[in-house]
Amino acid sequence: MTFFNPWAFGFAGLVPVIVALYLLKVRRRPVAISTLMFWQRVLQENQRRALFQRLRQWLSLLLHLLIFALVMLALTRPTIDHAVHEGSSTVLILDTRARMQASEADGVTRMEKAVNAALTYARQAGPFRQMAVQTSSGHAGVRQGFSGDEKALRESIQACAASDAGGDLQPALRLAGDLLASRAGEKKIVVFSDRAEALAQPAALPIQTVTVGTARDNIAILRFASRALPASPETFEILAEVANFSAQPWTGNLEVSLNGRLLDVRPFTLAAGERKSSVFSTVVEKPGVGKLIAHLAASDDALPLDNVAYALLPREPIRKVLLVTAGNWFLEKLLAADVRLRFELLAPDAYQPAMAANFDAVILDDQPAAALPESGNFLYLKQSPFATGGPALEQPIVTDADSQHPALRLASLEHVSFARAVEMAIPREPGAWKFEAPLRFGDQPLLIAGERGSTSSPQVGSTGSPQVGSTSSTQRVAALAFGLTDSDLPLRVAFPLLMANTIHWLAGGGGAGAADNETMRQSDNERNGFHEHRAADGSSRWMAVNTFDEGESDLRLAKSEAAAAGAVGAPRVVLGGWPLWPWLALAAAVLFTGEWWLFHRRQTE
Amino acid sequence: MATADSAAVFDTAFLSKLEQLYLLAKKLFRGEHRAERRSRQTGSSLEFADYRNYVGGDDLRTIDWNAYGRLDRLFIKLFEQEQDLHIYLLVDASASMRWSPAKLRQACRIAASLAYIGLVNLDRVNVHWFGADLGEDMGLTRGKSQFHKVLQFLREPPELAGTTRLLETCRAFTKQARRRGLVYLLSDFFDPAGCEEALSLLRFAQFEVHLIQVLDPRELDPTDTGDLRLREDESGATMDLTADESLLRLYRQEVRAFLDKLAAFSVERGIGHLQTSTETPFEDLVLKVLRNGVLLR
Repeated sequence: MTFFNPWAFGFAGLVPVIVALYLLKVRRRPVAISTLMFWQRVLQENQRRALFQRLRQWLSLLLHLLIFALVMLALTRPTIDHAVHEGSSTVLILDTRARMQASEADGVTRMEKAVNAALTYARQAGPFRQMAVQTSSGHAGVRQGFSGDEKALRESIQACAASDAGGDLQPALRLAGDLLASRAGEKKIVVFSDRAEALAQPAALPIQTVTVGTARDNIAILRFASRALPASPETFEILAEVANFSAQPWTGNLEVSLNGRLLDVRPFTLAAGERKSSVFSTVVEKPGVGKLIAHLAASDDALPLDNVAYALLPREPIRKVLLVTAGNWFLEKLLAADVRLRFELLAPDAYQPAMAANFDAVILDDQPAAALPESGNFLYLKQSPFATGGPALEQPIVTDADSQHPALRLASLEHVSFARAVEMAIPREPGAWKFEAPLRFGDQPLLIAGERGSTSSPQVGSTGSPQVGSTSSTQRVAALAFGLTDSDLPLRVAFPLLMANTIHWLAGGGGAGAADNETMRQSDNERNGFHEHRAADGSSRWMAVNTFDEGESDLRLAKSEAAAAGAVGAPRVVLGGWPLWPWLALAAAVLFTGEWWLFHRRQTE
Repeated sequence: MATADSAAVFDTAFLSKLEQLYLLAKKLFRGEHRAERRSRQTGSSLEFADYRNYVGGDDLRTIDWNAYGRLDRLFIKLFEQEQDLHIYLLVDASASMRWSPAKLRQACRIAASLAYIGLVNLDRVNVHWFGADLGEDMGLTRGKSQFHKVLQFLREPPELAGTTRLLETCRAFTKQARRRGLVYLLSDFFDPAGCEEALSLLRFAQFEVHLIQVLDPRELDPTDTGDLRLREDESGATMDLTADESLLRLYRQEVRAFLDKLAAFSVERGIGHLQTSTETPFEDLVLKVLRNGVLLR
């Protein structure tokens, strides 16, 4: 028998208190009678009964002590020990990161070796040796819950394949820790990977790493991206970086093709461990998606995955802009020079708010604007709905600029001189709008940018490809507190950047040069390549996905250690316990009820 | 106290009913004055008693001439002498009787009724208080006109201390009583020493004894249960006990045994015995119960 709360035996010290309380004189009710003669005779002639009465008094005390003892025992939480066969629980984590696609010297991939190693563990599965199967690449996933069915485990292990993603094993270890948290018996985590890593043990669980890789030479493309030249948006330049993860120099060609047409071939000569970058320039005149593919002619390396890279030409649609002004030479010239914009000039008298629906953005140059628009994207210069009507700010300076805001990207406004500016304030009750002031003079905003409307969550389209949210339902406004002629901004380099950033952000972009169409690193279990993401409104966007992970491409770190014993946790016999306290409490309650009944029948006094 | 409302109880109608009653005496007692009771003395009443031989000097009017005609001898006809009867009313005024005011009141009322009946019949009546010993008495009185004296005496019972001791009381009474007669003991007879010896003493002293036992229903059938401290009024003694139904049942059995024993003793000794409760209506008690108990006629 085991007592989980043995300290409760300390309550035994209260027994003398109970006895003392019991021995205290009962306050008797005085009753006057004519004679004691009969009572004396009753008690004299009933000596046996009197003796029994005394015994019953002791019985009452014994009942009290027994009830107390039962309650005290219940508080100690006693259990009757009995043997319990407690099974073991093991989580098999198969590393499915990109480098597991690497081939070993015998031609077998690391993934196949890991699967074979995991299968040897799965053969030990049984009712008292349950196992679960997890994979770990970009995300941790459970392929098979705890099971003693060897066949199910084998099938789930054999279905595991290496992904194109990198990442680390910690999320998988945390998930394994969560899975094992509620399991009894011996717990263990077995990781099948190409190398031994320093892993943080979740909840101090034992981790065994089974390594299946050896050091291999590899040539990899680590970066591949394109961008439009700011001076000539129709011209794109392509960056490629190639690394040699081997102890031998390597010489080979990097082929770049656009939409299946060979664009360029560059020879690379890399010393051992060297990496080099190269820039390709091209002009694209055809509309549509520009799919760039870089292919490294290295047929003898261990990981073909990183010999191919994908990128998209970040072409954006032509934005339609309406400029409402009485005359602004700087602004007109700027808009005319931007080939990504097609603007129309309109006199203030001819402007109608309904026109905003036909343009991606409307610029109101010092035009009255009392309220925020119901629809359309607007850029207010000087006059705006945010103007408080207060005194003008004289010669303000930029004291705080949020360079992370899309409107201020690459634009340095710290040295711009302002003659005056309008006092503006962010509305106290913005409703659905979200405003911010990325450019401030003290606590006075010089630029207010806001948007409303939500981006839809990613959905899976009918083609099976993931979709991303559309930004078409987002309405944006921006307001500058100063007129262009009230500052020397038009003479600054920041002027075209600020205006281009702001107009493109208003028109629905993430800002000029935003990363929307840049080549992305693999972070999910998708395969490398081009993926089309469709939004709920039917619009689509292409993305190029690559591994681009030095840790995945550098295969020299793999190292097979001595073969592990391959044993999973063994079942064991432990002492279980049937809790006794409910029965003790029940017995105490029954005795208490009986004592109460006897007391009221004066049977125990 | 006990007879505070005696005026209301002894109204004219009730007293007229009492006048119809007559205290029965099984024995013939020698009286002092001529009255309406038969006595052992021969006298001039109309009740024939016996014959005796004529001797010189006898009243010639008492000669039975018919007997002389048949037997040719002179016999004198003797007639019973009707004399008064001594009636002693011994009323228990101990603490056990005062425990319940109704008990002493009932006893005093019965005593007053018996005294009235006796006085109406020209008997000589005396009333004694008693407790641990014989207390003061009223003094012998005769005649209906002395009834107020009886009432006056019963109106002020003394507070006698101590436990009831019938033997001491009867011993003192037999020494004090000059004439034999009827003795009515009105008490609860809660004498721890027992009352048999005392009653035997009275019988030995040639008294005709009648017991009128007055009890309170609570004495017969107590209902108090629980943790009790019983205090006896007479001695002040206390007893702690926890009364339950079983103990009360034993108590009732004990009381019943006591009453049965007293009744059996009375029957065996030819002692009149009547047990009454304070709940019995007084008029019914006197006019019915005492008659049924053959104490009255």
